[in-house]
Amino acid sequence: MDIINIILLVFLAGALLTAFAGKVSSIVQDTLFLITIIVPAILFFLNININSETVISLSKIQLTFGLTPLSLFFAFIVFGLAILAGFYAVGQMQGKKRKGYLYFNFLLSIAAMFGILVSKDLVSFFIFWEIMTWSSYLLVIYNGKNVQQIGIKYFVMSAIGAYAMLMAIVIVHSLTGSFLISDMIDGFADMSAGMKLLIPILLLTGFGVKAALMPLHIWAPDAYSNAPMSYTSVFSGALSKMGIYGMVIVFMTLITKLPQESLIRDIIAWLGAITAAISTLWAIKQDDAKRLLAYSSIGQLGYIVVGVAIGTPLAMLAGLFLAFMHGVFKSTLFMVVGAVEKQTGTSNLKEVTGLIRKMPWTFLAALISIIALAGIPPLGGFVGKWMLYESLITSNHYLLVTLVFFSSTAAFLYCYKFLFGFFLGQEEKEWAHVKEAPAIMVVPMLILSAISVVLGTFPQLILKPINSALAFYGMPDTYNNLWKESMIFNKWGDQVALTPIVYGIAIVFVIFAVFLFFKNRKTSRYVTTKDISTSGEVPKEYENLTFKENFFQPFLRAVEPAMRRQMDKYMLAFAKGLEDLFDFTRRIYNGNGQTYAIYALLFVILLLLLSNNLFS
Amino acid sequence: MEKYLEILNYAIYGAAILLLLIGLYGALTKKSLIKIVLGLSIMDSGVHLLMISIGYLKNGTAPIFSPGHENELAKMVDPVPQALVLTAIVIGFGVTAVALALVIRLYKHHNTLRIDEIKNLKW
Amino acid sequence: MVGTPVLFIVIPLLAAFIIPLTGMVWKNSVRIIPGIVLSYMLILSISLLWHITETGTVIEVIAGWKPPIGINLVFSPFSGFFATLMIFLGLLVWVYSYKFKRNIDSEPALKYFILLMLLVTGSVGIVLTGDIFNMFVFIEIVGISGYGLTSFYTRRDSAEAAFKYLFMGSIASTFLLLAIMIVYSQLGTLNIAEIADKMPMMSNKLKVISLIFFMLAIGVEAEMFPLNGWAPDVYTQAPGPIGAAFAGIVAKAATYATIRVMFTMYDLSGAMDFLIVMGILTFIVAETTALRQDRLKRMLAYSSIGQMGLVMVAFGIGTKEGIFAALFLIFNHAIIKGLLFFSGSYLVYTKKEKHISDVNGMGKYLPITSVLFTIGAFAIIGLPPFSGFWGKLAILTAAADSKMVALIAIILSVSVLEAVYYLRVVNRIYFFPKKESMETQKPTINALIAMISLGIIILVIGFYPDLITGFIDRAAADLMDKTGYIKDILTINN
Repeated sequence: MDIINIILLVFLAGALLTAFAGKVSSIVQDTLFLITIIVPAILFFLNININSETVISLSKIQLTFGLTPLSLFFAFIVFGLAILAGFYAVGQMQGKKRKGYLYFNFLLSIAAMFGILVSKDLVSFFIFWEIMTWSSYLLVIYNGKNVQQIGIKYFVMSAIGAYAMLMAIVIVHSLTGSFLISDMIDGFADMSAGMKLLIPILLLTGFGVKAALMPLHIWAPDAYSNAPMSYTSVFSGALSKMGIYGMVIVFMTLITKLPQESLIRDIIAWLGAITAAISTLWAIKQDDAKRLLAYSSIGQLGYIVVGVAIGTPLAMLAGLFLAFMHGVFKSTLFMVVGAVEKQTGTSNLKEVTGLIRKMPWTFLAALISIIALAGIPPLGGFVGKWMLYESLITSNHYLLVTLVFFSSTAAFLYCYKFLFGFFLGQEEKEWAHVKEAPAIMVVPMLILSAISVVLGTFPQLILKPINSALAFYGMPDTYNNLWKESMIFNKWGDQVALTPIVYGIAIVFVIFAVFLFFKNRKTSRYVTTKDISTSGEVPKEYENLTFKENFFQPFLRAVEPAMRRQMDKYMLAFAKGLEDLFDFTRRIYNGNGQTYAIYALLFVILLLLLSNNLFS
Repeated sequence: MEKYLEILNYAIYGAAILLLLIGLYGALTKKSLIKIVLGLSIMDSGVHLLMISIGYLKNGTAPIFSPGHENELAKMVDPVPQALVLTAIVIGFGVTAVALALVIRLYKHHNTLRIDEIKNLKW
Repeated sequence: MVGTPVLFIVIPLLAAFIIPLTGMVWKNSVRIIPGIVLSYMLILSISLLWHITETGTVIEVIAGWKPPIGINLVFSPFSGFFATLMIFLGLLVWVYSYKFKRNIDSEPALKYFILLMLLVTGSVGIVLTGDIFNMFVFIEIVGISGYGLTSFYTRRDSAEAAFKYLFMGSIASTFLLLAIMIVYSQLGTLNIAEIADKMPMMSNKLKVISLIFFMLAIGVEAEMFPLNGWAPDVYTQAPGPIGAAFAGIVAKAATYATIRVMFTMYDLSGAMDFLIVMGILTFIVAETTALRQDRLKRMLAYSSIGQMGLVMVAFGIGTKEGIFAALFLIFNHAIIKGLLFFSGSYLVYTKKEKHISDVNGMGKYLPITSVLFTIGAFAIIGLPPFSGFWGKLAILTAAADSKMVALIAIILSVSVLEAVYYLRVVNRIYFFPKKESMETQKPTINALIAMISLGIIILVIGFYPDLITGFIDRAAADLMDKTGYIKDILTINN
């Protein structure tokens, strides 16, 4: 029995036990839940073996499992986030209904993601992909709000993607006679021109859905904001990366063998950039923190897709690094929202204000993650974005880089809105009772924030595994370490180096902080927001001094034309039209027995008339 | 006379098919449930007649092996369709009985015998 | 070997006559004896299925008349697979409905179990017989017991459904007789194997006409597209478990008949493509119609019709992979749709109209039934790790191997619709507030046993499909071996 099978079995058994352990005791259930996440992670990381392969042989199909450096990299994201979000979930779910339901599906989707990563054949890949889909679907509809709209939309989009993938899988099988991914890659060069185009497009459709790529993204805002935040942090942080994982494989192995290579790369990259730009605008418009982060996630995934699609070594590196970083800071932010929501009961940025003193640790985590998201040095997001810009410029995608740069800059607006809305602004009586979230929720956030900080300074920690993953798929390894291609990592000697910059900034910050601390130690006092006077007038208690209504309205008015058309609406109208059509066509069953008999007669007559064409 | 009988041979087929079509017409166009059941019965009869006529042999004898008639194998009519028809008649009888029982139930339930008014189940 | 195939027919028919007599003495025997008979049939068929893996097809010659003159029963891997599956489902239906009608003294309950047993017997007969007219007789047995079961409840619109079924059934049987007579008049035989052997002797025109008549006749029972208007009504109005019986037993038998006629008897080249076209039409029409249903059982019925269309497509692909897929789909459909009908009828048990909205909030009140329904829904959509996935994968692989890319696209896009309407129901079960003044009916213990065993099968096959792929493989190989079938029967000498 191989370690991978054991891990999958542990997940399965743990999920089932956890689901029903709630009948025994809540603490047992929590413990089982955490054990089921941690034990497989430990088992996995103690037994990493790239070359081993396990085969489960069914009569027709060989399910093959094994590790590649690329899947190892993604496994870091999955397990890391799963453990932290698991602890967070235990805290968040205290005293909530449907705990067993959440734990069960949480564990299943983690198991499915792990399964996807270790699948070496397309069938098991698809099996785990579908398990991931339905377990996440069950969590998207977890809170029961508007399930027929949001849930079905998510499932239909996922199903479209998954079925496109399934179609590609069976076609590949018919052409190569094997379900192995490696055989698909080897046999791809011999396929006919049509199939060569069809298969990558179908696969990219499948992965594009999970990566929330432009026309397929319509499920994402609702799904991300409706799942419980403990799960959304995994959903956005790790599950969406499964789409990226698939895309990386397709782009590195299949697309490179295509005659239309550069065209497809450009199309996908543009789709990614447009996704980033548009969803950034939508994120700015949102008043609900969950939806804001959901749109922000889509936008960030857009950058990653741009990097992966462009596919130069540096762009790939940037894309994967951003994928990791996005996993880290975006899940922190979702956790922050979850914590705020748990403590205040709402996640509306207009309602909640001034929590900075009530939830200081949560604020710290939010601050660091927002800085990382915005791409400000010295945090991790900066490195990734820099590498992305650089790769786009060096590969002559000037228009693309403009668009990416625009959305990245516009992202500052929602970053600020998020931070300001929850934590800054005037303290209101309504939130006077709010306390810091329980430690079990805060600690995972702080750990993730710490990772953001560390990776800003030592990006090599992550760039090394990415490097070996890319080398595995045959990325030209011209400079030993691919990341040395980037300016900030000393491509041309030592003019520009990252580490000194970071230390410099850190020293400045520390000196400044110390200076402020000593200067104001004696004289500082807490003031309320109303403890001011503007032009000699003292504001009254009821006056609203914050500017959270119509945040950024002039900006939004300026970009409004770009947001007028919503893909969502078109798709829904299309679906509605289809339903109405089917509602009409079902009237052939008009309830009259005689009509059915006439159908039978017509059937015979029609066949007799057509018999010469039908049968020979 | 010979010729006349020759035509009669085919006339049986014709009559059978005519019966079938009459029955079909009745079943497909009449609105009354009773008439539909009648139509179905007539259709059945048509098919039964057709089956019999397939086994028919001009100047044939009964398909019974009796002493002194061993050599008349070629003259015997085909017994199989007759056996089949007997079975089919019995089945047809059973189905008609069930149909009439259902018609009574329908009439009690819907208070009408028009098939186009009995459409509670549709789409 | 516990017995011979003829016992499949004799024992239940005998029991059907005896039961009313024993019922006069001991009331409960009316319920119990059919169960015993069905259990015996299951044991018999499983042991035969085991037996034939060693010895090859068992051919029973009735009354000493050898084929092609006498009637023969063929228990081959292919027909045996069907028979076992149908008997198993019939037994489960019996278990499920053992206490379905509490007051056994009332008149209809007496007949329910007898009719159920006859339904199974007729279907098994269709599958086992090697004689085309005998097949007609069994189809009529199925039909008449089906009419009876459909109109079981007097208070609903069941008579209407039964009449529609009877109407279509009568026309079908008329045309079946016509087709049989055309074949007989040309080839002088009723034995399927001999017909298949002599088929090249028939003129092309008559071949086509008789095939079309066969298609009409069997297509009605097999719920093929323009002929299936009766089916949803019957599924809706018959007692809940009988819906499962129709989906899992009658439709299967008719599909078997379709394949025997199209594949074994006729050698027309377009027949298989025709089957694909009809199957895909049935699939599309039924699934799109199911999308906007507001009655639960009607939705399940259309979904069932659609699945049978898919089975036809798989058969129509005609390669060994295609037939393997078809048989796997048949197996899946039988167990999954059985589970859906079983659990679905408890979800709406107390409601007269049985709207889909009546399942709202049932997850809390009928937890086990709801979970089982959800498993069934996920399985029929084709989500792994439930058994439905393997069937779907098999048909898609078969289609891809035959280079039918458009077919794959159609099947998959229609499958999306299927997911939509099933998930809508599942969402309602768990996330909608329960309607007020809605009492629930807890499933009886025997119903739970039936449902849970189906649920377990779905999961076990989902995780380990090899349990049945061996049987299915042999069955598919058996069907493909047309000349072997003819030779086996015509050269039998016992």
